[in-house]
Parts: sequence; C-alpha cells; structure tokens
Amino acid sequence: MDALVDWLRFTQLSLLFQQEVGWLWPLCESVHFLGLCVLIGTAGFFDLRLLGFLRSVPLHAAWRLIPWAKAALFANFLTGLVFLISQPDQYVRNVSMWFKLLFLLLAGVNALVFEWFYSRKLMALDPHGDPPLAAKAIGAVSLVSWFAVMYFGRMIPYLVPDPVSGV
Amino acid sequence: MSEFLLRLQDSALAQWVGGAETLLAYPTILTLHTLGLSIVVGTCIVMDLRLLGIPRGVPLAALQRAPLLIWTAFAVNAITGVLLFLPSAEQKAFQTVFHVKLACIALALIVYVRIRRLVFRNAATLSAPVPSEARVLAVVSLLLWTGATVAGRLMAYIL
Repeated sequence: MDALVDWLRFTQLSLLFQQEVGWLWPLCESVHFLGLCVLIGTAGFFDLRLLGFLRSVPLHAAWRLIPWAKAALFANFLTGLVFLISQPDQYVRNVSMWFKLLFLLLAGVNALVFEWFYSRKLMALDPHGDPPLAAKAIGAVSLVSWFAVMYFGRMIPYLVPDPVSGV
Repeated sequence: MSEFLLRLQDSALAQWVGGAETLLAYPTILTLHTLGLSIVVGTCIVMDLRLLGIPRGVPLAALQRAPLLIWTAFAVNAITGVLLFLPSAEQKAFQTVFHVKLACIALALIVYVRIRRLVFRNAATLSAPVPSEARVLAVVSLLLWTGATVAGRLMAYIL
C-alpha cells in the first residue's frame, strides 16, 4: 500500500493536481457535495418508492430520476479521483475510506443487480402497487448504503493516518 | 458583539465541540450536518426538477409530504450548524462567505414556502399546470441551494 502511495504521489498527474490544489480542491469539493445532494435526492426518491412509499408515483416514472443519480455518481467518481490522485496518503491507508469504498461497492452491486436482473420484472407489475419483498430489500440496502457512503466519506479527514516516516 | 462572541467561544459547550478528543464531537456533528444537507437540498432538487417537468409522470401530489422530510432535516442542520459555529464564533461571524451561505439559505427557504403556497395549496392547484411563476422559482431555488452548498464548502478555504 505504501508503495502504491509513493508511486501515485509522484506521477505527473498528481504533481499537476498538487500544484493547482488552491482552486482545484474547493471546486471539486463543491461539485462532490452538489453531486451527493442530487444522488441522495433522486436515488432516495426511487428507493422510497421501492419500499412502498409514494405509491401515487408509477414505478416507471420514479425510474426516470435514475439517470440523474447516475450522472451525479459519475461526477462524484471523477472528483473523488482528483482527491485520491492528489493526496493518496490521506486516503489509501485511511480506515474510513475503506469503509466508504465497501459501502460504495455494496450500493453499486445492489443497483446493478436491480437494473440487470429485476427492473424489467418489476416494471411489468402494477405501477401503483406495493412492491414485492425483494424490491423492498433492494430499496432498503440502497438507502442504508448511500447514507453509509456519506457518513464514512465525511469522516475521512478525521481518521487520516500518521504520515509515513521519512516523508 | 465581539465580547459576546468570545464568551460563546469560551463556553463549555463550544470547548467540547471544538476540542474534545472524541469522534463524537466535531466530526460527528459535521457528518450529521452533511447528511441533513443532502436530505434538504436533495429533496428540494427533486421538487424543483418536477416543477420544471423533468421526471414526467411523477404526480405533484407525491411531494405533498416532502415538507416533513425537509423541515426535519433542516432542524437537524440548524442545531448542528449552531454547534459547529460555536468553537470559532469570533471568526465565522465576520466571514463573508458564511454571510453569503446564510443569505442563500434564508432566500431559498422563502422561495420554498412561496412554491408550496403556489403549487401545493390544494387539490385544484396540484392538478393544474405548473404556473410559470413556480417554474421560475424552481430555477431560483436550484441556484440558491447550489449557492448555499458551495458557500458552505468554501468556508474552509476563504477565511
């Protein structure tokens, strides 16, 4: 891990980001925070529908919010990469970062399973109906894991490991 | 004013928030502030998008209970916001970007209340086409929440 940090830290891209950190970080952080708002708002709305709330909303209409969630996730992935590449030592050995990635993986796999194997079946059901238990489970896992991603993400700066000796 | 702020800053509560050697103090309060922000701004964004006609087929009436979510999360953020303010009251009280953030929030809430009155007042307004004033306000709301979020983030940079 330390070797990875040391390699990443001295790549051309990392050095460039470090040089431009003064405006690049505030900009990327702002985008990252706006992205998380859009993601929670839109994915959260769909998750609530999966859980059986908001039944006046047809399932396929709630599904139309998902491209917004995907766009927001993509923006946050890119801005997150900027943070990681410019300050790898803050993240790679950070326990909060690993928990964040774990829940990100869970949220992602959960969403892919839904989209690939389940969404078509669900959309064929009564658009105003109470979703089956499997759909509710997917909605619940999604909500919990996105909030966990935010929780552990926000905790990262408070769990930064001590600098590697010799830096 | 300054004396009052310094007294706030020296209070036992402020000392605990800013100085306690526990993740439950400043880091957890800040994290709650972030979760609350995502709910307030995220829900307002969905409402504004719907007013602009973007998720077609979502009935306006579905957002009838959004105020419960928004005001609960807002209350969390008002409380955590005051707590986060305390340890550096003297500095933040005179920080321009913080004033910008507060102004954006105040205006966004006024816009939000106006939208609720215009569109969500009763069954008739809910089933009528969205008035153009509400669509303009939805755009203003998106801009103001963006401003509040960005200004909040910049508080760590523009001291």
